[in-house]
Amino acid sequence: MAQMTVLEALNAAMAHELQRDPEVVLLGEDVGTEGGIFRTTEGLQLRFGSHRVIDTPLDEKGIAAHAVGMALYGLKPIVEIQFSGFIHDAFEQIMFCASKYRWATGGMYTVPMVVRAPSFGGIRGGFWHSQSPEPYYLHGGGIKVIVPATPRDAYGMMLAAARDPDPVLILEPVPLYRSLRGEVEDNGIAVELGQADIVRAGRDLTLLTWGPLRHDCLGVAQALQQERGWDIEVIDLRSLVPYDEDAILASVRKTGRLVIAHEAPVSGGFGGEIAAMVQQKAFGYLHCPIERVAPPDLPYGYAGADQFYRPNERRIRAGIARTMEFQI
Amino acid sequence: MSSKDTPPATFTGNPRPCVGPVLERARELGIRQVLDADGALAGDLPDPDLPKQTLLKMYRTMLTVSAIDARGWKLQRSGRIDFWIPSRGQEGSHTASTMAMEPSDWIFMASREPGTMLARGATLLQLFAQFFGRAEEPLKGRRLPLLLGDRRLNIVPCMTIVGSYIPHAAGAAWAAKIKGDDTRFIVYFGDGATSRGEFHSAMNFAGIHKPPIVFLCQNNGWAVSTPNDRQTASATFAEKGDAYGVRNLRVDGNDPLAVYSVTRQARDEARELGPTLIETVTYRLGPHTSSDNPDLYRRSEEAEAWRRWDPIPRFRKYLERRGFWTAEEEQQFLAALELQLDEAVHTAEAMRQTAPAEMFDDVFAQPLRSLQEQRAQMLADLAGEA
Repeated sequence: MAQMTVLEALNAAMAHELQRDPEVVLLGEDVGTEGGIFRTTEGLQLRFGSHRVIDTPLDEKGIAAHAVGMALYGLKPIVEIQFSGFIHDAFEQIMFCASKYRWATGGMYTVPMVVRAPSFGGIRGGFWHSQSPEPYYLHGGGIKVIVPATPRDAYGMMLAAARDPDPVLILEPVPLYRSLRGEVEDNGIAVELGQADIVRAGRDLTLLTWGPLRHDCLGVAQALQQERGWDIEVIDLRSLVPYDEDAILASVRKTGRLVIAHEAPVSGGFGGEIAAMVQQKAFGYLHCPIERVAPPDLPYGYAGADQFYRPNERRIRAGIARTMEFQI
Repeated sequence: MSSKDTPPATFTGNPRPCVGPVLERARELGIRQVLDADGALAGDLPDPDLPKQTLLKMYRTMLTVSAIDARGWKLQRSGRIDFWIPSRGQEGSHTASTMAMEPSDWIFMASREPGTMLARGATLLQLFAQFFGRAEEPLKGRRLPLLLGDRRLNIVPCMTIVGSYIPHAAGAAWAAKIKGDDTRFIVYFGDGATSRGEFHSAMNFAGIHKPPIVFLCQNNGWAVSTPNDRQTASATFAEKGDAYGVRNLRVDGNDPLAVYSVTRQARDEARELGPTLIETVTYRLGPHTSSDNPDLYRRSEEAEAWRRWDPIPRFRKYLERRGFWTAEEEQQFLAALELQLDEAVHTAEAMRQTAPAEMFDDVFAQPLRSLQEQRAQMLADLAGEA
């Protein structure tokens, strides 16, 4: 089995789909000749041609909008937005066009397209290059939102997105692109969307997260087992629309404690939605309030600030301790 | 101020001085014509010499659009439908350009083109069921009246945000080119839409990739209350294509034969030469919508002056001159049409409205469990089980 970085896994998945399905096209800024500014699409234009791996003008709205039209006509466009901080110009196209065609046309027209958005911080990129835009896309329906955080998930979830009948937004973990390597079999098998990954089983507390924080959370859980004897279950939600309610509820019913860690600012972040769901469906199982560990409602910090704006190990530990030591 | 310029009693705004119809200076302004104001040959573009059957279909469709408009107003004003988007004065621009396309060509609608649906074979009943928002019309009662479309007719309903869908049409045309299909495309939008970023995105991409598409800008003079000269400092909307390498022209939008000719040529050349931006110079004789009052921003004399260029009598004179149509035939046609409208309204109004459960359909290909739960909860709450 091959060892791949997250980037190589994404590249392998797109190559697999370009090879398998003649309707698949890639488009975005610099995705062709250069292979994308991160090199995610490296070599694909040479292999599949400039009519299928397309360099576009610098226009996020235009890229997304033309992909909508391509999908309406029966192609399967995979769009690269260079950084998720630049995706907002395409928001109307994604949330009020792509994700609404099926409903607004009585099911006559559909827009099965994939939007790739390199996301998340901790890369010393500053506000516009470090964003976690998922909350904007969870509201109102019609688009799936997924967040792979391992090479294997990057491969399998990219395949799933490319084969999905609905639009899919895939938030890619920039901080892990090259730093994380793992075994990936290029076998064309997709990961079923909507299933969480139980990263570590535990009895005392559920630590729920998605994106690169998966790895921070796992490290904290392992350390606290040693230091405090707390047995923490770590869940990587992986898919936010749809999301795996069963996995969350089963875990919370077991542990009675829930800490949710995410990189988007706390107010209006998806952690609040999950907390609302859990208190409604597992009210009697909770020993203590649900804790959120997330950035404050501020722009992303730069230079030193990005090391504590994003939930770091110390902040995750603090959230867990508050929950474990809660007294009425 | 002369008495002629005295504002109407409802005046609260600052209507600008009356601007005469630019069609009076069509030759000087490069607006292409087949017909003059009286339906005689203008000596500019040649008569496309369409078969009698085609001409009569075009004219009858225009008459039907006009009659639908009159009926729609009554239904809206009497509270039987929610909203109305008038098309009076613009019948020729959209009907003729639609008929210039082949049935297999794709059309992306705006909102003032009921003739596009009719020319492709939609029935009056289908249209009125949409106006009433009934559950069993193809769009399932999910859209405001006149936001029409039907996949069976290769007509894509617009995403309602003005101009947002222009690159959808261009992207679809680009896809057809990538796939090697022969399908051609036309997209309708108005003068106001050219200020949107998506118009410029579509022009920019189209200039580079040459998709087989006709961009049909129906310049009806007004974007709600905003006149052309407050929308752009460009002398024309067509010339915006120049900056993007998209060939373009202006045509008399109230001259169906001229619209047909230039659209047909742009369509036929689209595979080889790519996109064309056509500005049809027309005029919205009525309000923007049933929620608009044009007395606030334009003087009634302006609309009156444009009536001389009304596409319907103008085209009728041409047909009469050629011996294809008579006053008697018109009278018979309109009388029969009123009965058909009565029937369509009656039947459509009696169709059922959307049930609460149905609004949950078509959000995703497979309903999410969360949505199924929300539906069950809502139906239980509405049933009063608590």
